[in-house]
Amino acid sequence: MNLLASEWIKLFSTRTTWVMVGLGLLCEGLFAGLLTGLASFGDIGNIDEVITGLGLLMTLMLVLGVLIITTEFRHGTASSTFLVAPRRWPVLIAKLGAGLLIGILAGLLFVLVNGGLALSIYSGRGGILPPTSELVEIYAGVVVSFALLAAFGLGIGAIVRNQVGAIIAAIAVFFVISGLPELLPGTIGEYFPAQAVGSLHGRVEGDGTLTQVGGGLVLAAWSLGLVAIGTVLTVRRDLSE
Amino acid sequence: MPELEVRNLTKRYGKTVAVDDLSFAVEAGRVTGFLGPNGAGKTTTMRALLGLLRPSRGEALVEGRPPVAMQAPLETIGAALEATAFHPGRSGRNHLRCLAAAAKIPRSRVEEVLELVELSGAAKRRVKGYSLGMRQRLALAAALLGDPRILILDEPANGLDPQGMRWLRDLLRAQAAEGRTVLVSSHVLSEVDQTADELVVIRNGKLVSHTTLAEFTSSGVVPSRVRAADPERLATALTARGASVEPDDGALLVSGLGGKEIGELALAEQIALHELSPQRSSLEQRFLEVMDEKDEPA
Repeated sequence: MNLLASEWIKLFSTRTTWVMVGLGLLCEGLFAGLLTGLASFGDIGNIDEVITGLGLLMTLMLVLGVLIITTEFRHGTASSTFLVAPRRWPVLIAKLGAGLLIGILAGLLFVLVNGGLALSIYSGRGGILPPTSELVEIYAGVVVSFALLAAFGLGIGAIVRNQVGAIIAAIAVFFVISGLPELLPGTIGEYFPAQAVGSLHGRVEGDGTLTQVGGGLVLAAWSLGLVAIGTVLTVRRDLSE
Repeated sequence: MPELEVRNLTKRYGKTVAVDDLSFAVEAGRVTGFLGPNGAGKTTTMRALLGLLRPSRGEALVEGRPPVAMQAPLETIGAALEATAFHPGRSGRNHLRCLAAAAKIPRSRVEEVLELVELSGAAKRRVKGYSLGMRQRLALAAALLGDPRILILDEPANGLDPQGMRWLRDLLRAQAAEGRTVLVSSHVLSEVDQTADELVVIRNGKLVSHTTLAEFTSSGVVPSRVRAADPERLATALTARGASVEPDDGALLVSGLGGKEIGELALAEQIALHELSPQRSSLEQRFLEVMDEKDEPA
């Protein structure tokens, strides 16, 4: 609990977090407002289009997760952090908690901006909103995905340690290999992280079988698995700088 | 039981041996200076004592136990490893608050240590704008946060101005006087000379000497400075007795014979002595001598 409090102070005592979340939400407001306000009505079509700008926010969450750990190595604060908790793994648990929390917070803010702006403009222009229960499901998927993506980034960051390397690795693992499943037989492809996020957001393409909860569980397995590997490596490795 | 101890500590990085079968113990109530040339393995040893490095062989012990087993780590050991290990975008106060929160230390203690290192005025500013001396003070503040029984400081005098150095010296002396353990590495030998009670000297990862400061500085050849009415004749007589004599600005620097022998020889030769003073070899001189001695293979 103390370590979690410490991680929370760390997150908000530099500008990075504020800038990233703020910028993400600002862009989201612009996307949502412009799309629903200016696009020709026929093009907006279904609700998936209205809940827009997820890609940017998801990338930001991934990067933020990476930064939670790599800044400690980049600036050499890892030594003092781990001096407080010499067994080290509790720090990773605390960082995981902070990552999930910041993801949920950003997710809720996304819902606030997107729901407040896009949905009201859309319905104002005569768009027909899906039932509330469906909206809640979609938005819940968004919030959960943000939290799990931050954890995903944290896992990669703990494994790679180098900041730039980890950001590239996280984006590569997440987005680049997401093209791979198309080449694979059967439903294996659904278990890739990007496809799991798709299911989690309630956007199953083609003949997908993964439910929304299933997608969430698959993504959670990826994220927690990476954090677990990162934790084992962090406990074992030397801190030489 | 010594507060800090390394036993047969060996640390390899690939083929490079940073610390090689090093053993020594550090006791409470005194300041122990940790000396050695760059790359001697001082920082590696300190990091092993803090549990940040895993020894390749041997062990590092804090109060008799491996450092990872520490309960209440910040109250056990305070460490200042380098003055650059801060997030540049975080304020000094927030850096300390992060550590305090993690160790459940009250916020008021953060203000106390800021006051103690005279950084209260700059605490709100981001570390990016700090001078090297200010970073050094912040690192010390972090080390003192838990009011620890043991202090491990790596080059804490680096970048401090003369007042800062004096303040640091007084602080370390006071900590030792309270019965705490202080291990401090430095290459500012004049500082160590005025602060340390004991010296651990290493080179190429191996122990060179572990003695009190007084023993270390007097263990070398102590030359005498001699002024005489007839220096040339005295020099000849001294050389005949096996001493080595060097002229030194009108006086003679005599080594190989003690003050007693020199005085008696001068009396026998009927040469009046104007000065006969033993030259205490300075820590720096002695340090360099020791390093040179060890250069030659045994």
